[in-house]
Amino acid sequence: MIKTLGLLSILLSGYMACYAQNKEVLYDFQEIPQAIMVNPGINTIYNWYAGIPFISGIYAKGATSGLTVNDIFAADGLDINQKVRDRALNSLSERDEVNGIFQVDILNGGFRSQKNPANFFSFGMYIEGYALNYWPKDLAVLAYEGNADRLGQRFDLNDLNASGQFINVLHFGINRQIKNNLTLGARIKLYSGILDIKSTNNSGYFETTLGENNLLRNTLVSDMRLRTSGLDALLDANDNGSSVAGLFTKRGLFGGDPGLGFDLGVTYNLNDQTVITGSLLDIGLLYHTSDVINYTLKGSASIEGVEIILPDALNDPNADVWEDLVNEIEELVPFEENNNNYVSFRPIKFYSSIRYNFGKQGEPVADCDCDYKPNSGDRSLYYLNSAGAQLYAINRPRGPQFALTAFYQRRFAKVLALKATYTVDKFTPTNVGLGMSLQAGPVNFYIMGDNLFSYGNIADSNYASFQLGLNIISWERN
Amino acid sequence: MKYIPKSILAILFCTGIFSSCAEKQDFDQLDDLDITPTAEASILYVETPEDLINQDSGNYFYSQTFNFDAFNEEFVADNILDGVITYELENTTSKPLDITFEFLDEAGNILDSENFMLNAAPTAILTREIAYGPAGRSLDIIRNTSAIRVSTTNLGDNTSVSSLPNPTVFLRSSAKFRILLQ
Repeated sequence: MIKTLGLLSILLSGYMACYAQNKEVLYDFQEIPQAIMVNPGINTIYNWYAGIPFISGIYAKGATSGLTVNDIFAADGLDINQKVRDRALNSLSERDEVNGIFQVDILNGGFRSQKNPANFFSFGMYIEGYALNYWPKDLAVLAYEGNADRLGQRFDLNDLNASGQFINVLHFGINRQIKNNLTLGARIKLYSGILDIKSTNNSGYFETTLGENNLLRNTLVSDMRLRTSGLDALLDANDNGSSVAGLFTKRGLFGGDPGLGFDLGVTYNLNDQTVITGSLLDIGLLYHTSDVINYTLKGSASIEGVEIILPDALNDPNADVWEDLVNEIEELVPFEENNNNYVSFRPIKFYSSIRYNFGKQGEPVADCDCDYKPNSGDRSLYYLNSAGAQLYAINRPRGPQFALTAFYQRRFAKVLALKATYTVDKFTPTNVGLGMSLQAGPVNFYIMGDNLFSYGNIADSNYASFQLGLNIISWERN
Repeated sequence: MKYIPKSILAILFCTGIFSSCAEKQDFDQLDDLDITPTAEASILYVETPEDLINQDSGNYFYSQTFNFDAFNEEFVADNILDGVITYELENTTSKPLDITFEFLDEAGNILDSENFMLNAAPTAILTREIAYGPAGRSLDIIRNTSAIRVSTTNLGDNTSVSSLPNPTVFLRSSAKFRILLQ
């Protein structure tokens, strides 16, 4: 059990990559096909595209709030114990977090309907993993300093809030230009859960007070749970030397936990130059049924050590008072295990934007010579420049998080498009991002990163991400 | 901008995205991280009323051995750095008492003992702290303790009654241990 919990701790607190998931540079970047993944209602400007398998979309992001790697591990000659005490224990709150996400497109493609060119279909499969760990402030203090000389201080068990998930996602979407100024999109997602670990919505406390009889009283009031799916099989595979990759593949290809989700998106042209967009992503859930093991610690107990009150205790002079005490505690606050199936909801993401296009150059920059007439819809490609703002929100265990982005995009004929963003969120108020889409014949290459100011010392960054990919795009008539 | 070839611009852009620096990090510092919380909790509480002492015709002698495995639990025994055991004895009876705490190992051998002489009431509460570890007694006492024996001898008569309400002998104790987690 200790081994299991140790592995869980590593998994949950690891800097795997970002649950914040804000792809502010990619959002509404029409020249990049993968932009349809963050707004299924985007204006599609190509006839078809095919992502190069496994490299059409590679994305990773890591974020920490309140603390950086450099804060603790900088080779600055300071005592690490003092740094941990000053910069973590005495500074971080239970709302600070470490999180990360990675996403890799296995397949990604899209094509315009020959029958009705207003329809554009997209499809694909990607794998995603995330880990999220809020700073367990009270539990960290308890572990680091203990309960001694802290009479009356309650250590809140709700501070433990961590989750992690690996899933494979098969998706199919339709994007339709409803009117000249309106495009809608929807996507269905079939999830296959590979691994899920979650300890959220815990409650209770641990407290030490003066005792009524003895010197001290320790009180535990607990309603805690840890849910896992797929973990036991993973540990077994690791212990037995069997293929962990094989297990991941099997569970990822619909041998794991089933789930269903939807994405919705819209683009609306207010006028020739002004466009508003919005999307809701991952409205869905997974039903964890395979290899489920849950742990619970629920109940309440107050103890003041072994208590012998004479003459009552003389009735049973051979009683094992220590074992009786241990049994009583285990009865009052049982640590239990079960295999009950459970549901987990995907974190819903929301994007919206307003974009103003200017610097008209007279013809579409990306000249789609296809049946579909892009100039009847969003006319942004007629303009060299776009500028605007984006709002992002994600549903999180401790409430929604928001990010506000200002952006500027510049197009250089058909070949090159650049986008610069400035984002403010809980992780950093100075997040400058850049993205580039390079079109060489039918080959599209894109790359983007954010919080570039932190690249001078990436270890001191609260936030970093990158994304890149390679696609083949057809702008030609079918 | 139009004088800069787009290919050069793209190369510069990619170089910029992929170029990052990091100040030197020393992850070996983790070896110096000391996580040594101090935990405290009550150990044993014994309450003996005066009328029970008076029921014994001779010098009342009470001795009881309690199984107590909290100290020699593997986690505690392997990781304890030092600690203090606090005793608090309160006597509101009319008898002077001789009380002894003994720590025993699994075979019943005495590892350590602490003796208290209590005057008859009215008398002050007697508090004593015993340190274990580098600045005190051997930690092996704590590591190997499997039972606690409490012995009480009545050094007075068995007829007198204290004028204080509910005359009783109270034995209270707690432990405060520093544990090495990392």
